[in-house]
Amino acid sequence: MKLLHLYHDIMNLYGDYANILCLKRMLEKNGEEAGIDRVSLSEDAILDEYDFIFVGSGTEKNQKVVLADFLKYRDQLKAYIASGKPLLMTGNSFEMLGKMITDGSGKSYDGLGLYDFTVTEERGRRYTADIIAKTDFLDQPLVGFINKSSMVDGVKAPMDTVTFGIGNKDGEMTEGVLDKHFYGTHITGPVLEKNPHFLCYIAGLILKKSPDDKPLAYEKKGYENTLRKLSERIN
Amino acid sequence: MKKFFTILICKILRFVGKLIGKGSSMPGQIALKLCPDILKRVQLPEHIIAITGSNGKTSTVEMIAHILTKNGKTVAWNREGSNQIEGVTTMVLSNATLSGKVKADILLIESDERYAKKTFSYIDATDYVITNLYRDQLTRNGHPEFVFDAIADSIHDGTRLILNADDPLVSVFGHGRKNVVWFGADELSSDEKELHSVYNDGAYCPICKAPMTYTTHHYNHIGHYACTACGYKRNDTDYTVTAVDLKEGWLELDGKYRISLALKSLYNIYNILAAYTVARLVGIDSKAIADDMNDYVLKNGRVINFRLGKRTGTLLTSKHENSISYDHSLRVACACDSGTDVLIIVDAVSRKYFTSDVSWLWDIDFEMLNNPNIHEIVLAGAYVNDLAARFSYTDIPQEKIRLFEDIAKASEHLDSDRKEYIYAITCFSDKEKFLSKVEEV
Repeated sequence: MKLLHLYHDIMNLYGDYANILCLKRMLEKNGEEAGIDRVSLSEDAILDEYDFIFVGSGTEKNQKVVLADFLKYRDQLKAYIASGKPLLMTGNSFEMLGKMITDGSGKSYDGLGLYDFTVTEERGRRYTADIIAKTDFLDQPLVGFINKSSMVDGVKAPMDTVTFGIGNKDGEMTEGVLDKHFYGTHITGPVLEKNPHFLCYIAGLILKKSPDDKPLAYEKKGYENTLRKLSERIN
Repeated sequence: MKKFFTILICKILRFVGKLIGKGSSMPGQIALKLCPDILKRVQLPEHIIAITGSNGKTSTVEMIAHILTKNGKTVAWNREGSNQIEGVTTMVLSNATLSGKVKADILLIESDERYAKKTFSYIDATDYVITNLYRDQLTRNGHPEFVFDAIADSIHDGTRLILNADDPLVSVFGHGRKNVVWFGADELSSDEKELHSVYNDGAYCPICKAPMTYTTHHYNHIGHYACTACGYKRNDTDYTVTAVDLKEGWLELDGKYRISLALKSLYNIYNILAAYTVARLVGIDSKAIADDMNDYVLKNGRVINFRLGKRTGTLLTSKHENSISYDHSLRVACACDSGTDVLIIVDAVSRKYFTSDVSWLWDIDFEMLNNPNIHEIVLAGAYVNDLAARFSYTDIPQEKIRLFEDIAKASEHLDSDRKEYIYAITCFSDKEKFLSKVEEV
């Protein structure tokens, strides 16, 4: 199995890199060999060679630098998503797939245009929140943290619905973007490691069978602890 | 009259607050309600020194106040550490006469980095020290570039900047600016040619975003860097740490003055250097500064020696959500040649606000503990499973690791006949939970 970590050294806030490590380990524990390729700015990857692709979150400035480079993958990425293979983009990385990003100074940047949503950043503002979110594809909620300075408008198919926390934009509880097995979420950090059921789900897509989740004992207890602590905040 | 009453009320509230053990923010908060521009109406000393940055603000301010006071200057400073506008207002008004004159030669202000703009919209600092920009409280602060923008908005044109030349992001504040004083460290015996930390926030140029190269790393992104494209590079320094010896525990300033380090770590070197730089700029004799530093022990209680039954150890207060502070603490433990056990507690992520986010654990270089000097590793607190999961991604043999959700049980476990030293590493938010189980010495 081949896993691709794109822009690992620049879209690397919040310990995002753990997502690819825990997936690799999960595949290996289930009898598959898995290797990680790390490809960054001004390098090239052939996306359809991979069984899983991951991009993490970055600063607003770094996201713009990466976007300029990322545009070259537009057609490849479109085909990759259409093929139904899994792609995870956390934090502000998924914003690059929309029509346009407008930064805090009002300057606009064309996105890859795979989706119709637009992104507006606000200088000096930070939207942060612990979150609990429900999805249609997992039987347990997701937990995590959102840390962004942007509002996302016009998402047709969101990834999840936030029951605690913040959504794509003010007053909206839907969060992220979903298309086949492209999972775009503003949840930052080791989302898969923090949500072992999500990790199993993604590993299952790659393995084409449901994986053994016994190796995830600590992760499961960590998840339950966080879900409990966050649930207490609701009441 | 409004000024008079505002100052009077602030003083009374502070007096009462001290009696009943309240913090120092509230009186300033009320003063600002009564008279929002009170800081503009008071007469401030000629010399105003501001300090901000991610790590080391309090230690640096404490040291500067100590040196200046010892050398005959009167200093008004926020010794309680309340570093947002409310706390600063309390401090300024507490030091003012009722007619509004601040009775001090020097006003020394530690400022929160995120909200510095608010404080300095009323106060025009003559000197502004910026120590570093690290990943710190990401759940509140976003990321270092976001904090950079917040600080940039607080800098006035006429202010002289005193900057850490070894931090590429901080140095941007001085890029193309004339009135800048640079402090930094020469290549040190403890340096790394190849960086070993989990991430490198100096990988790309903060100005043009082309790759950067380092001739030496002091730690993490702190070192001697140069952009491969735009010519941005580390500045030559005006005040310099010229050498360190972490085995013996000293650093050398400007090739002349040896200062002993209470903790054999780089943790404090920039605080010492920044304090030295400020004191020099105020006009204190360099020999006098060095003497004052050598008999000075930081009072802020970051390093606490303890006894636990027959065993002895040291608590290294680190900051949750701040991987560099953890990396420093881990390095201290790894340097213990006689062998040490390590206790790490994550129970409440923050003492200021609620969050259950532990992503920052993945930014800490725990792999470092895969070292023969490190014997047993005890992980404890409500987030023990997140710690255990994080450690399972290191090559540390799992049989070295013990887990306790309950901090009291972890302490009982450590209270044994083992001969190893104990390094306890945790945050302000959690340290009392451990200190209540041990005897401070």
